[in-house]
Amino acid sequence: MRALAADPSTDAQIASARGLVKIYGTGAAQVRALDGIDVDIARGELTAVMGPSGSGKSTLMHCMAGLDTATAGRILVDGEDIGAANERRLTKLRRNRIGFVFQAFNLIPTLTAAENITLPLDIARRPVDQDWFDAVVDAVGLRDRLAHRPAELSGGQQQRVACARALVSRPAVVFADEPTGNLDSRSAAEVLSFLRRSVDELGQSVVMVTHDPTAASYAHRVLFLADGRLVAEVEHPTPDTVLDVLRDLSGPARGAHTSAPTAARTAEPVR
Amino acid sequence: MTRVALRSIRSHLGRFVMSIVAVLLGVAFVSGTFALRTMMAGTFDDIVATSAQADVYVRGTEIASQTGGGSMGVGGNRTLVPLALADELAQVDGVSAVTPDVTGPIILVGSDGTAVLAAGGAPSFGLGYDPQDPTTTIAAGRAPTSPGEIALETSTLEASGLAIGDPTQVLLGGALTDVTVVGEVHFDAAIAGAIFVMLDLQTATQAWAADGLVPDIGVFAADGTDTDRLLADVQAVAGGDTEAISGADLRAETTAQIREMLGFVGTFLLVFAGIALFVGAFIIANTFQMTVRQRQREFAMLRAVGASPSQVFGSILVQALVVGVVGAAGGIAAGVGLVAVLRMVLGSFGMELSGAIPLDGFTVGVSIAIGALVSLVAAAIPARHAALTPPVEAMREEDVRHEGGAARWSGALGAVLTVGGAAAVVLAATDRLGDGNELGLAAGAIAALIGVLLLAPALVPGGLGALAWPAAATMRPLGGLARGNVTRNPRRTASTAGALMIGMALVGAAAVIASSTQASVRSVVETESTSDYLLRSATYDVPSGAVDAVAALDDVDQVLTVEVAMLAVDGSVHDVVGVDRALFERALDVPVVSGDLAALDRGEAVARVSAAEENDWQVGDRIALEGSTGSQTVTLGAIVDTQAIDTTLMVPQGVLDELSSPAEQTINTAFVMLTDGADAATARDDLTAAVQPFLIVSVMDNDEFADALSAQVDQVLVILYALLGLSVVIAVLGIVNTLALSIAERTREIGLLRAVGLGRLQLASVVTIESVLTSVFGTLLGVGLGVGLASALPSVYADSGFTDLVIPWAQLGTFVGLAVVVGVLAAIWPAVRAARMDVLDAVSYE
Repeated sequence: MRALAADPSTDAQIASARGLVKIYGTGAAQVRALDGIDVDIARGELTAVMGPSGSGKSTLMHCMAGLDTATAGRILVDGEDIGAANERRLTKLRRNRIGFVFQAFNLIPTLTAAENITLPLDIARRPVDQDWFDAVVDAVGLRDRLAHRPAELSGGQQQRVACARALVSRPAVVFADEPTGNLDSRSAAEVLSFLRRSVDELGQSVVMVTHDPTAASYAHRVLFLADGRLVAEVEHPTPDTVLDVLRDLSGPARGAHTSAPTAARTAEPVR
Repeated sequence: MTRVALRSIRSHLGRFVMSIVAVLLGVAFVSGTFALRTMMAGTFDDIVATSAQADVYVRGTEIASQTGGGSMGVGGNRTLVPLALADELAQVDGVSAVTPDVTGPIILVGSDGTAVLAAGGAPSFGLGYDPQDPTTTIAAGRAPTSPGEIALETSTLEASGLAIGDPTQVLLGGALTDVTVVGEVHFDAAIAGAIFVMLDLQTATQAWAADGLVPDIGVFAADGTDTDRLLADVQAVAGGDTEAISGADLRAETTAQIREMLGFVGTFLLVFAGIALFVGAFIIANTFQMTVRQRQREFAMLRAVGASPSQVFGSILVQALVVGVVGAAGGIAAGVGLVAVLRMVLGSFGMELSGAIPLDGFTVGVSIAIGALVSLVAAAIPARHAALTPPVEAMREEDVRHEGGAARWSGALGAVLTVGGAAAVVLAATDRLGDGNELGLAAGAIAALIGVLLLAPALVPGGLGALAWPAAATMRPLGGLARGNVTRNPRRTASTAGALMIGMALVGAAAVIASSTQASVRSVVETESTSDYLLRSATYDVPSGAVDAVAALDDVDQVLTVEVAMLAVDGSVHDVVGVDRALFERALDVPVVSGDLAALDRGEAVARVSAAEENDWQVGDRIALEGSTGSQTVTLGAIVDTQAIDTTLMVPQGVLDELSSPAEQTINTAFVMLTDGADAATARDDLTAAVQPFLIVSVMDNDEFADALSAQVDQVLVILYALLGLSVVIAVLGIVNTLALSIAERTREIGLLRAVGLGRLQLASVVTIESVLTSVFGTLLGVGLGVGLASALPSVYADSGFTDLVIPWAQLGTFVGLAVVVGVLAAIWPAVRAARMDVLDAVSYE
């Protein structure tokens, strides 16, 4: 494993967590979703977070992205301590420093693709940098679909619009939660290679939660979670190395979950 | 399945609260209306029962077949009977007492020196106290025995602030008389706020039956006398010019007339109850749509474990039934409360209604049935949708929209109705429908209203798009987001706005009618009245003493009166005005259409153009007039186009006096002409001083006269604004409900917006803009429709004095401003709810 930075606020880390604990519920129903996690997310890398259902990977992302508040521990995003931030500052942080790509329902159905892309800038009342907008739109290959509504776009196109939206405000870091979970393999490959290119060519930092070893193999580094703890990591992964680690992590009882991630997700209890 | 349905209501009570409140409001109006009507009918029944206790009545024969109008079923449209008949009747076998009805107008001066006026326009009655009359008892003091003595009914005594032994004055037969209160009289019945003053019989007879004629005579039977026999005997004595009727029949007849009158009031209230329920149905449908959506997975699961579509459908309907019945039960309670409050308010004005608030099985049954039925009908569509959605589709996250052909059909029907209704209104307005003008106007208006309601969904995208443009342009991206939200489900936005639209259409039309009426009145006064001053009375009857006092002033040249009495004109009862020709020569400048006003000097009649057209009268026609004291046939001598005197026919004063008794005539207005060179200001002071003792008389110049007439219109408007308040409350509920529904549906979208940085305040702003857009849209449609329809009125009702069309832009602007306020108010709760939504819940909601 990579050694943790002595001072997490240095420029090498875009985001980091120390002693992160998240507890849901109380008494008998209590769940320790995150059980003391220390992690550094490197600047200018695509970092994948993997783990079986209930491992806490989504909770980790939600906490680090300021969508959820941690029970204990310290989180720094782009040098800012977000554990201490109130809702108002978190909103500003999300608006200005963080980009999001979700698994589904990424776009506002009443806005066109172009309006969806510039939405974070409009909300922040910041001007649109037209050159950067063009660069992002060309990178995702959506130039001719800008005037369309989400309902008129394919699933892959919708996710690419979401990626463009995440990048257009030049955030410090983009958090992607299962960005390819609803896509066929070809569309998934398009989205993933775009995310990788955004890191390699545009210098973006990206954190991606995924179930899919192939998706994880696009990352510079893969973190593995189990039962709310960081248990392994792989640098420069390939699908095979990722699968090996997953096999090691899960006992025979867990095999069904990791080998059939989609089925596992729908079997999760309804919230 | 029923258990599942009931459990679901219990665990999600909050969701159903809005539906229950909607049903509650609608039902409250229905049950309140029924209860009020029963209570009022009961009060009047009591009055009838106690005021008409005699066993047999002798009254005049009917002079016209018109029903209604006549109070207590006696007088008004019947001939009078001779007072002397009372003595003959007293000789009939088995008669214990005979009580002639000696009654007429009187004004009592209270302890504070002002006139004691009944609240709510209830009349002031003077009665001759007949010791033989078993229906009145002396509660304190003694009966009046001389012209200087009066007795007061218990609540009149209270309202006047006088006590037994106090000296005061009454205005009787146009003159002020000093009197002393000598007694308190108690009636068995509630008297609904009317003022009763008792005089001794002789004084009363002089004042109101000086010509020896009274409306009716009551005959009381001695114990053990057969009423039928007595009736026959009385009729035999009374003779052919009169009619004997048993007390029971008279009471039944009177009660029926009152029921008919109250039925009209009830119908009016029920229309609003109907609107409330109609809007309530939207709210219920929306709520069930929302809960059905939220529980889609639950239904899918039930379907997956083997529930049939009809079971799912049934379980939702069971819930609707519970909501309807619970809401109706609350509504009945609220309705009773409403009536209790109303009774308290009326009571504080001195208008007491009798008895407990009635709540009969019929009211309860109808209320519960209406509540249940409305809920079931409203829930049926969402229930059907839930039942027919395949389980797999329901499990999916994405919302599947079904916009079927029904939308196009209702849009087309709406367009047809709107165009057809508008065409009917235009035809009526341009007088192409002849006698059908009024019918065409009414039917056209209703058709247009329904048409616009149906058409509204089609107007949403364009109309709201345009309305939202300023917000979208100035408040990026909030305005655009709000516009997208209100236009994405046009049907829902339209039905939400519909609630406000109906209310605003009524109010918009009322505003136009009111201001046009006021303008018409003003222009009539300005163009026709050439008098210097006018005298008017708070009781619409200027005492003749005041007229005489003014006429005696040095700077007054002449006082010309307009006296009104009810006469049968060619067999039906109308207001007939007695005038002198001088009135038209000096006080009123009236265009003569045909004939000659000199006809009045020849004892001939004058008709207004509208009345002449209606009755097909030409100059030279003979018109049969019949009053309580005589009948006469007059020649129509002239037709004039006047709006100042709102009557069917004008006859010379002398003719009116021959046909009706002075007690039946009222001086509506007296026109005062000053002598040449008199100083107007000084004269006014003199006039004011002269009428001051008469308390109820006011002196006005033409401007003030117009103001006073306008003020009457304003009073009517107050009632309409109260109803506006009601429709606004319901509309707010509807908007709140729709916003809550659409926010629940947009949970994920809201989570996404919040995730990408939309602040809570910004989110609340989006919701508020949606709300304001919806309410302004509804208001504009409603006001536009109302104003459009009302604009047709002047041309249809020009003959009835509705000459000027005035659109009160400032007032209409206020309505739109009000709509903005309504929108903001309605948005508060949903906006707070949306803003409080947990971002993570919203994002990971599945």
